[in-house]
Amino acid sequence: MLRFLIFFTVILILLFTAELTQPVQNAIILPWTEALALTSASLITLFDSNVAAFGKILHSTTNGFAVSIEAGCNGIEAAIVLIAAIFAFPAPWKNRILGIIAGLLALQSLNIIRVISLFYLGQWNQQAFEWAHLYIWQALIMLDALIVWLIWIRMLPTLESACDAVQSQTIKQ
Amino acid sequence: MTTTNITLSKLTLRTLLWLPCCLAAWHFNAYYLAAICGELVHLFVNWLLPDIVTSVEQTGTTLAFVTTLKVQLQPKQAGLLIPEVNTLLYTYGLAFFIALMLAVSSKGWQILVGIIVLLLFQSWGVSFDLLAQIGIRLGPDVATQAGILDWHREAIALSYQMGSLIFPTLIPIILWVSFNQRLIRGLTTKFASIKNVFALVYKPQ
Repeated sequence: MLRFLIFFTVILILLFTAELTQPVQNAIILPWTEALALTSASLITLFDSNVAAFGKILHSTTNGFAVSIEAGCNGIEAAIVLIAAIFAFPAPWKNRILGIIAGLLALQSLNIIRVISLFYLGQWNQQAFEWAHLYIWQALIMLDALIVWLIWIRMLPTLESACDAVQSQTIKQ
Repeated sequence: MTTTNITLSKLTLRTLLWLPCCLAAWHFNAYYLAAICGELVHLFVNWLLPDIVTSVEQTGTTLAFVTTLKVQLQPKQAGLLIPEVNTLLYTYGLAFFIALMLAVSSKGWQILVGIIVLLLFQSWGVSFDLLAQIGIRLGPDVATQAGILDWHREAIALSYQMGSLIFPTLIPIILWVSFNQRLIRGLTTKFASIKNVFALVYKPQ
């Protein structure tokens, strides 16, 4: 556990520091955040046509309400935590890559729900928006990362499949 | 209910059910958390930048740090800088931690130890919010008075981002994982066995 925590902390600090640098912000974070705003707007237009996305801003064309997707709301931090947790845990590389891809999908799916829910909460009640934005959704996104990580651990190869792999290797030899 | 036989769906459901209660409890006790954080921040910031903060004033959950730094309000009129920090932004992870711990029926002492550790990281967040105001947001004059150099600013920016974006929700999870190693081991037993199988088969002769 100590080894895991040390690796996890080192990878987390490296990824988080890299995220804050201007080249990474320009090349990955900003385009990602804009894509998140665009995806959220596209999904909203399925049931509400009064929405538009400008860069990382989601804007209601009826009442002028707008939300800007900033650091902490684009799901990047939770993704970094999940990637660090998966890399730090002893597992085959194939499982790590699959875990990261599936995990990022799960995180970003919930994050789109967060952005859309906040967009409507903000139009309804500012206090509810503040609570959901600052406290509730932050915890839920990190809970999502934890559950995805635990599911990933549980789905690592079983003893039976390992024995099969060993047997097939032995037969080949 | 032991921590090893809880399913992940139960863990999720129980955490989600406990979270609103814990958020309410946190909100009603946030004043006391802010007071403790204020004292810890006072000690920590004065250790980093000696004699900068003279006192801490509390209004609800907002802490105001009375500093020795001077700001020019108008020509011939100067005042002392009193930056404010909203502690709620840093302490809400406590509710998340307790919800996670209650979801697996953890022991009281574990929750208590977790709260103490969390308070340290929450104080980190508040400290670097204050230092980010002094060293970055309030301009170079204030930073120079405080003796904050360029490389200090970089370190403050990184520490502030860690304290505000990562620590509030990550530290509760790290603590939860640390207190529930049996649960994690229960999930990983099969994988650990694979390593043993391979180790036995491919053992150097």
